[in-house]
Amino acid sequence: MRLAVREMRRRPGRFAIATVILTLIAVLLMFLGGLLDGLVASSTGAFRAQRANLLVYSGNSRNSLERSRIEPDVRHQVESVPGVKRVGGLGSVQLGGRIPGRGARDLVPIVLFGYELAPLGLPSTPPGVGTVYADDSLRAKNVGVGTTIHLGPSRSAVTVVGFVSDTRYSGQGTLWGSVETWRQVLNANRPDARAGPGVVQALVVQGALPGGSRLAERIDRATDEATTTLTITEAINALPGVSQQRTVFNQIIGVTVVIAIIVVALFFALLTVERTALYGVLKAIGASSRSLFAGVVLQAVVVALIASLVGIIASLVLDALIPAGTIPFVATPARLLSSAVVLVVAAVVGCAFSLRRVLRVDPAAAIGGTP
Amino acid sequence: MFLALREMNRARLRFGLLICAVGLLVFLILTQQAIEGGLVRGFVGALRQQSAPVLVYSVDGQRTLQGSVIEPGLEAKIRAVGGVAEAGWIGQSTFTVRVDGGAESDAALIGYQHSGLGDPSELSSGRRPVGPTEAVGSAADFTVGSRVGIVTSGPSGATAPAFTVVGLVKDAQIQVTPTLFVPWAGYEAAVKAANPDATTVLPSVIAARPAPGVGDTELVRRINAASPDADALTRSQAARDTPGVAQVQQSFQLIFVLYGLVVPLVTGLFFLIITFQKASALTLLRAIGARSGALVRSLLIQVALVVGGGIVIGVLLFSPLTLIQFGAISIRFDPGSVLAWSAGLLLLGVAGALVAARRVLAIDPLEATTGGGGL
Repeated sequence: MRLAVREMRRRPGRFAIATVILTLIAVLLMFLGGLLDGLVASSTGAFRAQRANLLVYSGNSRNSLERSRIEPDVRHQVESVPGVKRVGGLGSVQLGGRIPGRGARDLVPIVLFGYELAPLGLPSTPPGVGTVYADDSLRAKNVGVGTTIHLGPSRSAVTVVGFVSDTRYSGQGTLWGSVETWRQVLNANRPDARAGPGVVQALVVQGALPGGSRLAERIDRATDEATTTLTITEAINALPGVSQQRTVFNQIIGVTVVIAIIVVALFFALLTVERTALYGVLKAIGASSRSLFAGVVLQAVVVALIASLVGIIASLVLDALIPAGTIPFVATPARLLSSAVVLVVAAVVGCAFSLRRVLRVDPAAAIGGTP
Repeated sequence: MFLALREMNRARLRFGLLICAVGLLVFLILTQQAIEGGLVRGFVGALRQQSAPVLVYSVDGQRTLQGSVIEPGLEAKIRAVGGVAEAGWIGQSTFTVRVDGGAESDAALIGYQHSGLGDPSELSSGRRPVGPTEAVGSAADFTVGSRVGIVTSGPSGATAPAFTVVGLVKDAQIQVTPTLFVPWAGYEAAVKAANPDATTVLPSVIAARPAPGVGDTELVRRINAASPDADALTRSQAARDTPGVAQVQQSFQLIFVLYGLVVPLVTGLFFLIITFQKASALTLLRAIGARSGALVRSLLIQVALVVGGGIVIGVLLFSPLTLIQFGAISIRFDPGSVLAWSAGLLLLGVAGALVAARRVLAIDPLEATTGGGGL
């Protein structure tokens, strides 16, 4: 082991190219993961913030908030299901927002939510009609407390009274107001999507019992399948593109890890071939195959750790440099650490291909002078 | 040449591993290039395939069909602009549908008021609609004769329209969703059936055709000057500037650059180490008269064979993917793109091996007589 460390210290150049390649792969892994996290976070924040067990859509909406319509009679049916503790309406509309200080054509895409049951970070009583809480991401768009935003072609005015974190939806910043505010803004700006009195797009349900799936079945039975009830996790996965993005990105990440394994295998296989004579001598003077291989593994881990560290720094720099609203990249500690762990494991697996060669080294050959 | 091939034959495992690594990289690059193309086609294919040369969004719509609503006042201003030869409505919404009575699925409807202003430019098969319940569908998702019923709940269900697909158009999805082009009357009926509270169905954009002597760009400029609420774009601008398209392209370009760097580095590392290992043999070869040019040629032949082999493996792995539909995204085998990447990666591979080639050129034959031969 000490020999392995000493070799790395005395001949760092030998490991430089492998480190550079692994660093690039680490950056790729972290960039791909960060891109996935950014895409998912910017699409799902509004649902992740819900303090509820279930989300109830209309049965024919294909779990799309925009297409779902819950009539008051269906709501009463849901409220009367045993196990349902509290029910709140939820509505959304995507509009362009005119923010003071920005150009006449420089609108900000915004999703206005109307809520009854407060999501995380919002007061239990929705703000009064015409007032809203804004997602933190809108601060970068010149929005502050007291800012009046004019929404849609009808220039519906809403005034920001506070902020809430991590509630973006469909890649856009959100505003959170009462259901009445939402209905007024929707009806003024989207006559084709009008919501009548008492109509909401979805219901947020808090259940009296833990575990939502059985309650969901009960709700859908009670409404005679006029509703489709999902747990919050199911609703997040049903958002357009979320599961597809996860699948595609995870597959790409998986193949990139395989490439990392091949690179490490290749590098350490060649290194081992080069050291065959040296290993023969070391074995002849008593070194075990185990300790020799442990040295190889240690070197692989060190190379992978250095690559991961540089990758983490590069990812953090990228995160800081990428302008908001361009590439949806976020560098989260969990993603960076998990990528580093994956890379280290790939390095260990990769260098394990050299094990057979290390075991096959014959000390007698070293004594006999044959390499 | 002979030496290069003999060496590769004797060290099949190490060269095989490298060829596999390059092959996987090529596979990844080609797959991601194809996904990028498929995504962009799926996002905005319908905009590229529709016939209106100029599309006028409301500024509030942020250049998305679903977000844009043209109110009557704005429409009047657009129609009054000098140089507008013809204008018509285009509307777009996504609906829950049943195709041929099957399971519920999604479909985007694009309603157009006038033929030649919003309907597909060219059909790949079938004919154009003649009635309000006939439609042209995206070729990847429908067949001629398909019956597409709008699914609604409640009392409006009885009056929900069903469309018959009478024609097909290639690469014509919007928002990565199966897409139907339908006459305005059919579109309006579908919107009202899906939402009984809908009072009016306003167009999402105004399609405009310039008068003779007025170019598309000039008409765009005139319309934008006429109203601060109008956001006129040419057809290609509308496709390019749709939110999300540029971000998708930027993200993939960054990924391609990173993969493009990995290929020469992996190849370069491999051949550099090989050259180090062969140092004594190469010195001896030089000492007995082998020219350095021949040794470098041998190295470059190996590089070409390794990268070429990797490209063949990558293309072979990628080809079957083009037969599969990834959700609504279609992956396409684009020979031009495959050739461009192959040539680029071959060049990058050779460039990566230049350090090793420099080492070979630096070999001093005299070292053989002094017991050296290290590089």
